[in-house]
Amino acid sequence: MSTTEQIIADIFEKFTAESDETIDYESFYDDLMFCAENPINLNQANGDGLGKLQFLSEIQIENILSYIYEFGAMQTIYELQLVEGLDMTDIRRMLPFVRLGESDNPKGKIYWNDLLKYGKNEFLFRLDKGLETKEGYRFTPNEDVNVPTLNSKLYLGNELYNSLKYRFHYKDRIQVGFSGEKDAGEQFWGATNKGYDFYSFHAQLNNFGKFRTIVLGDFRANFGQGLVLHPEFGMGKSSYVLNVTPRSSGLKRYSSTDEYNFFRGGGVTLKLGKFDVSAFYSNKMIDGDTVNGTFSTIIKTGYHRTLDEFSKKSSVNQQIVGGNVTYTNMNLQVGFTAVHTELNNNLIPDKSVYNYFYFSGKKQTTGGVFYRYRWNKLNLFGETAMTDNGSVATLNGCYFSPVSQVSLVVLHRYYSPEYDTFYASSFSETSRINNESGLYIGAEVRPFRKWKLSAYADSYRFLWPKYGIDAPSVGNDYLFQADFTAKRNLTMYWRFKYEDKQTNLSTTGVVMPVVVPLQKSSLRYQLTYSYLNFSFKNVLEVNLSKQSSDNWTYGVIASQDISYAFPRIPLKMDIRFQFFDAQNYENRFYSYERDVLYAFSIPMYYGLGSRYYLNVQYDLNKHLSLWFKIAQTVYSDDRELLSSGNETISGNRKTDIRLLVKYDF
Amino acid sequence: MDLFVRKVRLLFVMCLFSAIIFSQISNPLPSSTSIAQTSVSDTHNWAAFNNVAMLGYIEKPELGLLFENRYMISELSTKNIQFSLPTNSVNVGLSFSHFGYSLYHEMIAGIGFARNFSDKFALGVQFDYYSAYFTASNSYRGAFFPLVGLAVAFSPVFTAGFTVLNPFQTNIQTEFVTKRLPSVFSFGSQYFFSPELVWRTQIDKEVSSNYRFATGFEYQMLQKFNVKLGMYCSDYLVSCLGIGFITHSFRFDLNCDVHPLLGIKPLAAIRYSFK
Repeated sequence: MSTTEQIIADIFEKFTAESDETIDYESFYDDLMFCAENPINLNQANGDGLGKLQFLSEIQIENILSYIYEFGAMQTIYELQLVEGLDMTDIRRMLPFVRLGESDNPKGKIYWNDLLKYGKNEFLFRLDKGLETKEGYRFTPNEDVNVPTLNSKLYLGNELYNSLKYRFHYKDRIQVGFSGEKDAGEQFWGATNKGYDFYSFHAQLNNFGKFRTIVLGDFRANFGQGLVLHPEFGMGKSSYVLNVTPRSSGLKRYSSTDEYNFFRGGGVTLKLGKFDVSAFYSNKMIDGDTVNGTFSTIIKTGYHRTLDEFSKKSSVNQQIVGGNVTYTNMNLQVGFTAVHTELNNNLIPDKSVYNYFYFSGKKQTTGGVFYRYRWNKLNLFGETAMTDNGSVATLNGCYFSPVSQVSLVVLHRYYSPEYDTFYASSFSETSRINNESGLYIGAEVRPFRKWKLSAYADSYRFLWPKYGIDAPSVGNDYLFQADFTAKRNLTMYWRFKYEDKQTNLSTTGVVMPVVVPLQKSSLRYQLTYSYLNFSFKNVLEVNLSKQSSDNWTYGVIASQDISYAFPRIPLKMDIRFQFFDAQNYENRFYSYERDVLYAFSIPMYYGLGSRYYLNVQYDLNKHLSLWFKIAQTVYSDDRELLSSGNETISGNRKTDIRLLVKYDF
Repeated sequence: MDLFVRKVRLLFVMCLFSAIIFSQISNPLPSSTSIAQTSVSDTHNWAAFNNVAMLGYIEKPELGLLFENRYMISELSTKNIQFSLPTNSVNVGLSFSHFGYSLYHEMIAGIGFARNFSDKFALGVQFDYYSAYFTASNSYRGAFFPLVGLAVAFSPVFTAGFTVLNPFQTNIQTEFVTKRLPSVFSFGSQYFFSPELVWRTQIDKEVSSNYRFATGFEYQMLQKFNVKLGMYCSDYLVSCLGIGFITHSFRFDLNCDVHPLLGIKPLAAIRYSFK
């Protein structure tokens, strides 16, 4: 029982496993779901097209393309088994997103009748609510003399999260969408705010004459290896050890509800022979703690729940103009990206040691050159970028597959401490592209049938103090994973991870910064099996952590998942019970869990307790579907309060419910 | 009266001591007849309030009685009766257990449903009602909680089992005290070296207690006689021995746990299979 949704969820889980970084799941899901609805024609595909399948490595994409180049169009999808470096798991993952067919006419004329007849509309309505009342919703009685002060810090709106989305697409040629969102605690209708807190509109046209892409409204621009521009999910260290660099997807509509990582305006990409030329302009308001024409931080959370948060909403105007020229031929791709950002207020970070080199000012220009070059079995890639203050970031690497069973990747990066630009995202130990140098080596080996071994080693150095590390520091990361596919319906893996880095000594009263070693190791076993309409998953993970000369502390997490699709009624359900026991914050776990459509959750577990959820999908008819999820976490370590500040809950339980309605027509 | 008060005090101290040493919440859950209580993956033995999925493997109606004594103190005894009925769709099990004596006792009753899906896996759910007598309020207080179990046969000789008792961590709240009910997460495996020799392992975690690691072997020495040997470790290493007889429709089990500090915990069980 592997529906497309489950395949996407599994891929996402592999990318995010053990990650504390927030990845925009909505965009990730949306892109792959779009591919499922408009499968890529393998016989016509190019690197950019297959690049949308983020779970394929660069080597696998190269191998598919060179197979088709060498042997001609595939006659059957089973020919994928003959492509080097693809195993049955990869092929099964690919199947929902690819097809074989005759050459389409990607630039064919579009008639209004076709739009009405074959265009697809989708309407989504989502509601979330926490069942326990949080501190931020408890208004202070009026007799208290401090009422105005206290209530100004409380939430203005109710506890409901709500979003509304509408999308239209005609094949992959026309995509239009609109969305509105209100976070829990934000006011929907009242004295402070009227309507949704966040609105977004997008339109994208593909392959119209010379125009490869036209975007209007909200969009993203991803070019090269992400050192200049890549507001979208940038790949990094994960159990997909060969997928280390982000895909250059160019201009693309933005349909997510992240309230910062996008552009607002318009852009075009022209196809001129072997050149793609892109230009775009964005003008949007962003949040900042503006006082007297300066601000110290860009606030990216998108929360406007209290008067304090609301006062920072849209207080800074950000204009961005940028462009890209890319030349592509058989073995070479080379491109140049430039972007100029202008703010109407001065950004002046509150100076402390770690952010000494962060960007300050009103204007910034960044440019970069990227390349990919295939030479025999070597695939060289890289990008070098520079900001107008002369600081440099460079990333260079090589994919190499000496024999079909072995694939390797080497990547070196150097990001100067002074390099700091707004929308960069690429391979890095942290989420910020600056102040880092390092060497990453990854390998994927298929020594026997049914077995796949993956490993990476990454050694890095922060040249200047980082947040939480008050001195230049070094670190190492290692991962080893063994995947075993016993049968089609029975798979398992073992994953060992070891991390050795430095951190501030967590002792109060220290005057001089003291940096001490922090070691973490974890071992995870996951078993997945299915029978008829049932599927099961077991996870057992233990970790150990040690700071300086303290004792080792441990964490344990174990879970059992059961999914069932009813044969006679269109009802699917997922149930999980999970137990966790993490002694220290450093022993915390992140665990991906199933959710309603387009939503995701990767809760963090720390302490002792259990969590369980029920996730249900019911298709009322071919147009209307419902999703419902209820999840509860119970802490057993005698804590009487959960979370902090306005999010504080009295008691040891946290319960969330989520409802989503989808209407297709 | 003095004697009575001393007896109550002594029992209270013993209960507390045993709870601390044994590192488990005092509870009326009966042990299973599987050696070292490795019942979570024991497909041949449905034990009440253990893995309810095993109820799915029952082929004939069965009636079972069990008596368990903790450390030779008659007041610390658990009595259990269970009945299972196989049907075409799901198997049904009824169970009742009583722990304690007239002045302090805890009871638990359950009705369980389980199904074996073509010997590939079995799923079960049981609804339990727990009640205890509280002297402070001179009343009984109770709570409902579920028990969910799963067993998956990866091959004819290897089975893994999972069960969770009281997953929502339901407790009983009185005016004076909060009685914590056990919430146990168990995972284990069963491997048959041969039809006569089986090896089981199990990990249990009761949320307020330490982890319990258990393992044991059961060997069918003769057609009607088997021997069991195992151990488990929580705070202390406890050795476990047992024997079993099977005669026609009856099955007898005698088990004994040897705690290094508290002493012996014997268990006797009889089970009758209806034709």
